[in-house]
Amino acid sequence: MVLEKVVEILRNYKDEQDLEVTMASTFEELELDSLDTVELVMEIEEAFDTSIEMDGELQTIGDVVTLIEKAIA
Amino acid sequence: MIKTPLCDLLNIEFPILQGGMAWISDAQLAAAVSNAGGLGIISSMNADENWLRSEIQKAKSLTDKPFGVNVMLMNPHVDKIAQVLIDEKVPVVTTGAGNPGKFMKLWIEAGIKVIPVVPSTGLARFSERAGATAVIAEGGESGGHVGEMSTMPLIPQVCDVVSIPVIAAGGIGDGRGIAAALMLGAVGVQLGTRFLVAHETNIHENYKDKIIKAKDIDTTLSGRSLGHPVRSLKTTFSKDFIKAESDPTTPPEVLEEYGRGALRIAAQEGDSQKGCFMAGQIAGMIKEKQSVKEIILTLADETETVLKGGLQWVK
Repeated sequence: MVLEKVVEILRNYKDEQDLEVTMASTFEELELDSLDTVELVMEIEEAFDTSIEMDGELQTIGDVVTLIEKAIA
Repeated sequence: MIKTPLCDLLNIEFPILQGGMAWISDAQLAAAVSNAGGLGIISSMNADENWLRSEIQKAKSLTDKPFGVNVMLMNPHVDKIAQVLIDEKVPVVTTGAGNPGKFMKLWIEAGIKVIPVVPSTGLARFSERAGATAVIAEGGESGGHVGEMSTMPLIPQVCDVVSIPVIAAGGIGDGRGIAAALMLGAVGVQLGTRFLVAHETNIHENYKDKIIKAKDIDTTLSGRSLGHPVRSLKTTFSKDFIKAESDPTTPPEVLEEYGRGALRIAAQEGDSQKGCFMAGQIAGMIKEKQSVKEIILTLADETETVLKGGLQWVK
């Protein structure tokens, strides 16, 4: 369950345990700027012991989840 | 003599890089810096590949020392620019305004040393992982587009999380600043504002005069609301811009349009009504126009004196 883990990381990152996150949530809605996005993606990568390409535009949490799922498949 | 591992890594005499400043850092300035023993850097700003190729070739005709090119990743011509750097065998590329991930592999395979400018530890780690040779950690004291962190807290924190060399930038204008940067863990520095007043810098004399006249409090930040704050000298333009920015009825696109071309106007026309004179907070320390060689030799001498003098406090 990649999404669940990502949500947990996100909640810890923002220190907001009841933060509502869905696949469609955008980084912007979650008040995460481009620097936060880099930090967060690296934390997520470390948690899954994998790496994803950050070349394209990562807009939503779903974008990250999909890439992680592909990377660990 | 100040010598750090960066000197061997980049094949330079002094660990001093000249920042890639749009409309300012051309082949003439870059070659002068490289000839004086630093690393000169051409800014490719928003230019197309033909302009850049001719600047690179001009720099090659002016120096046989290594020099670099700064790539602004939001440049619409960036794909072609990336290829020109490979074709022309540019030894060093610095990047700004974005994530160079897309080009890293290509450049590294071509033997280019890639040095991203980073405003945070996260991007520094990311750059290292992507194969960067070094990073330039730049604090918000610098001129032009700036990040939130300032140099003093940024440099040691970046040094703590990466094992590649760290080059410090932002707020460094003399040997004291260079010595401090080395003490924070950096092995080199990048300076921009100090080179604005060099004889070899092709900008309007008004720009240079404004830097010489500037005091410590004479720079300001504008463009925060657009998400990309810019540090420049306080002028009629910057005051008008900040006023328009603080008016909630001003649409962002009007502000963007207002700012467009303002740096070029400053650099080429010297017009303080319409020009944006980008400069760092150290502008107030610059008191004379010098040649690039004088600047670099002075910086190196001062750094040596300051570092040696530091030992007086060790009892």
